[in-house]
Amino acid sequence: MNGIHDLGGMHGLGKILHTPDEPVFRSEWEGRVFAMLLSVNGVGHVNTDEFRHSMERMEPAQYLSVSYYEHWLHGLETLLYEKGIIAVADLDAKLAQIKGNDACQ
Amino acid sequence: MPIVLTSDMVAGALKTGHSTRVDVAIEPRFKVGQRVRAKNLQPLGHTRLVRYVRGRVGIVETDYGVFTLPDTMAHGNIPTPQHVYRVSFTSHELWGPAADPKNSYRVGLWEDYLDPASDMAP
Amino acid sequence: MTSHEHDHDHTKPPSQLELRVKALESLLVERKIVEAAALDAIVDAYENKIGPRNGAAVVARAWVDPDYKVRLFADSTAAIAELGFSGLQGEDLAVVENTPAVHNMIVCTLCSCYPWPTLGLPPSWYKAAPYRSRVVIDPRGVLKELGLDVPADKEVRVWDSTAEVRYMVLPERPSGTDGWTEAQLMELITRDSMIGAGLTKSPVKAQ
Repeated sequence: MNGIHDLGGMHGLGKILHTPDEPVFRSEWEGRVFAMLLSVNGVGHVNTDEFRHSMERMEPAQYLSVSYYEHWLHGLETLLYEKGIIAVADLDAKLAQIKGNDACQ
Repeated sequence: MPIVLTSDMVAGALKTGHSTRVDVAIEPRFKVGQRVRAKNLQPLGHTRLVRYVRGRVGIVETDYGVFTLPDTMAHGNIPTPQHVYRVSFTSHELWGPAADPKNSYRVGLWEDYLDPASDMAP
Repeated sequence: MTSHEHDHDHTKPPSQLELRVKALESLLVERKIVEAAALDAIVDAYENKIGPRNGAAVVARAWVDPDYKVRLFADSTAAIAELGFSGLQGEDLAVVENTPAVHNMIVCTLCSCYPWPTLGLPPSWYKAAPYRSRVVIDPRGVLKELGLDVPADKEVRVWDSTAEVRYMVLPERPSGTDGWTEAQLMELITRDSMIGAGLTKSPVKAQ
């Protein structure tokens, strides 16, 4: 698709923001998302090409503004729902449950 | 049936990876040294044919062998195995006459993304 | 759960993202789609075991051993596997050589493809829009922004990782390193020098 991800040659996207060093995962959640995708990719649920395409289909302004592993989270969730592996309602319910548990502490 | 990746499987899985090479003998359409033109495809689905080379002429530098095609793998896990080539492009070809002629480009392109180009300058 | 230090403040409430990821993991573990210990092992592998020191070992070996260098360019995947590095996002590796005439730069304009077995996971700037968009249309501008001085008469060769081959740059060996051991040489080989976004350290600076 002629999506926002096909960035080669675009102008105006800002400075490189180079860092000489940085942690592999800047927050714990990034590592968990990374590992979850690796656990479902190539083992019979999803393939790499589907995964790439799932991220390409992100809303363009979102794609450019959110952090890298938010792309992965979006892609992972999209594929899990599209393939019927989990339902949006299941995640909503689990989220509510977790928030409820946290509130009790 | 999908498998569950367990912790004892992780090291081996990372070390092996998931190659998308296909062990099948297919005649390549293009030869090393041949001039090729990237097709002007505008697919709605997944592709690895970057927009900045579409319609542009380059030279095949390498035949990497046979791999699955992302465009069909992403939509139904269909392999469509074919040769993948490394194609080199000049900066003028991609970015116009004002581009720095000392810059050059190499892009990996599946056979379905390419047509032969004539030996004459376009 | 691993016992490493979390970098978030336990006195702050978890962010929406953290909660969402926690919920997703909880669900997938409950449904036996993923295993929590496997997730721990994957994170550990990429945080602690697989990183640019692997690539530095390959570069140092190629600098000291001419026969290895020949093998490295004949079949990069096999030669790199000789040193014990292989696998995910490196099933097909291709090393490209910097010379006095050529400076190579690696990018994945479409996403973030990168040679994980030799360089680990890519840095944020490599995966973000500015580098991905600019390095193909203005590689010298990018080099300048990154503080590299590449002479105007040198060819800049940009490799876009659109297919499944993963590229790595073999930087030029710095002068003043005759007789150095591989371990000593590895100290000069930066991650950026193997992407083409930086140069190796000079022996004087490294002391």
